[in-house]
Amino acid sequence: MPRGLSIYAEGTSALHRAHPFTKGAITLVSVALAFIVPSLPWVLGLAAILLALLAWARVLARFVPIAVGILLPITLLLLIVQGFANPANRTVLIALGPFSLYVEGMRVGLLAAARIFDLVSATFLFSFTTRPADFAESLMQHGLSPRFGYIIQSALQIIPQSLEQADRIREAQQARGLETTGPLLRRARAYIPLLLPLVLSSLVATQERAMALEVRGFGLPVHRYSRIVLPDSGAQRLLRWALAALVPIAIAARFLGWR
Amino acid sequence: MTPALLMEGVRFRYPETTPYVLDGIDLTVARGEWLGVVGPTNAGKSTLCYAAMGLATEFFNGALTGRITVLGTDIRKEKVIERSRRVGMLFQNPFTQISGARERVDEEVAFGPENHGLAPELVAERVKESLERVGLSGVAERHPLDLSGGQLQRLALASLLAMHPQMLLLDEPTSQLDPVGTRDLFGVLNHLHQGGVTIVMVEQKLDAVAELCDRVVAMAAGRVIGIGQPEAVFNDIAVQDSAGAPSYTRLARTVGVKPPWPVTFDAAVRALHA
Repeated sequence: MPRGLSIYAEGTSALHRAHPFTKGAITLVSVALAFIVPSLPWVLGLAAILLALLAWARVLARFVPIAVGILLPITLLLLIVQGFANPANRTVLIALGPFSLYVEGMRVGLLAAARIFDLVSATFLFSFTTRPADFAESLMQHGLSPRFGYIIQSALQIIPQSLEQADRIREAQQARGLETTGPLLRRARAYIPLLLPLVLSSLVATQERAMALEVRGFGLPVHRYSRIVLPDSGAQRLLRWALAALVPIAIAARFLGWR
Repeated sequence: MTPALLMEGVRFRYPETTPYVLDGIDLTVARGEWLGVVGPTNAGKSTLCYAAMGLATEFFNGALTGRITVLGTDIRKEKVIERSRRVGMLFQNPFTQISGARERVDEEVAFGPENHGLAPELVAERVKESLERVGLSGVAERHPLDLSGGQLQRLALASLLAMHPQMLLLDEPTSQLDPVGTRDLFGVLNHLHQGGVTIVMVEQKLDAVAELCDRVVAMAAGRVIGIGQPEAVFNDIAVQDSAGAPSYTRLARTVGVKPPWPVTFDAAVRALHA
């Protein structure tokens, strides 16, 4: 049985111990800045900071396969498309027969790829160092309804269970002769007999889970004590405000001519 | 003392269906009693549990007539969520009873008491005590989904015990468990029963029902067709034909032992020696 979608990596680094809001601020501000700052050196500088943070949290090794598997193909695709076909292309970098790779397009592709790198690395930095339960608890401690907190936490565990149930149904139908390989149309048709049992079993499971939650008092209108102590500090709060201030400052700088 | 569960003239049908799933049930369960509920498919056994918990009306919005009181309170005057403070219900499927929101076994057990607003120190105490009672203390830090089906069902039971219920409604709690998981769960239930917890248990493992339960109610087509001590109920031919009988009873009947047929292992040994 799969445990869930959480990719949290156990650790004791300062980032692991930091309040989820602090890590959330680092992530959100990094993503925002990646798309606000005007030029490649700034975006690459941000990427370097994020890589340093991943290394500091001792999760860089987990990030490398993601970078290679997801970000490298995206980068190559952006460089090829922009390098060959950007409307602003003027300066030939490499001529390949009838086609030419242009400097301007390569720069645009590289900038877009670097921004995506920042976005992905910031998101993974948060996911690797923050337990979903801690994140949900931090939101509930600041007024989020326990029902929403439950949705955040349970989705990460229940979705993989549903996917596994879908696999079991598919295998059962295959054992009864259902053809799920071959041309696209045949595969599409094969999924129709899978849908009904999947939907029905999901409805039954959802109903049973809802009843089980009800008999465990979920939603009782009582004062609920905080389950997890999430240490926070003045320094962390100051850091969050400082990070948040960077966004309007960067936007204002862009309006004032930052190029 | 008021009974743990009282049903008087209870009829129930699910929305947009005509037949009554419960059709004139009269039943009294004393406090501290362990009642087994047996019967064929569609006898209304699970619905009996849903009705007693209040889920039949509150969750399924079915039509209920007659009177049900649980631990002295009419079910119409108390919501399921309030009743969860005193009554626990265990379902068939251990996987759907896990909240899905907790990453450790002990955190999963704490889910219910936390919902009831108990202070963290008290929650921790109850978690420890409940895990010890079901024999899962050694896996407290593991992920719930790392447990076997039997362990998961014991975890679901521990999650209910942590809320200190006075009565447990069990809907085929061993239907998805292997023999070892089944034996372990019955062991825990037996211990709880000795501690004074009232248990109403729907179960198809009739040998266990005959061994463990104080009384048995046999149902068919929404009606009670037999009620009393296991020996009496399982010796009723109508019950045997409809709900089945423990293996010892069937064996004794097959080899020509004269009635009353034994329903437990010890009674079977005595009967075969005689």
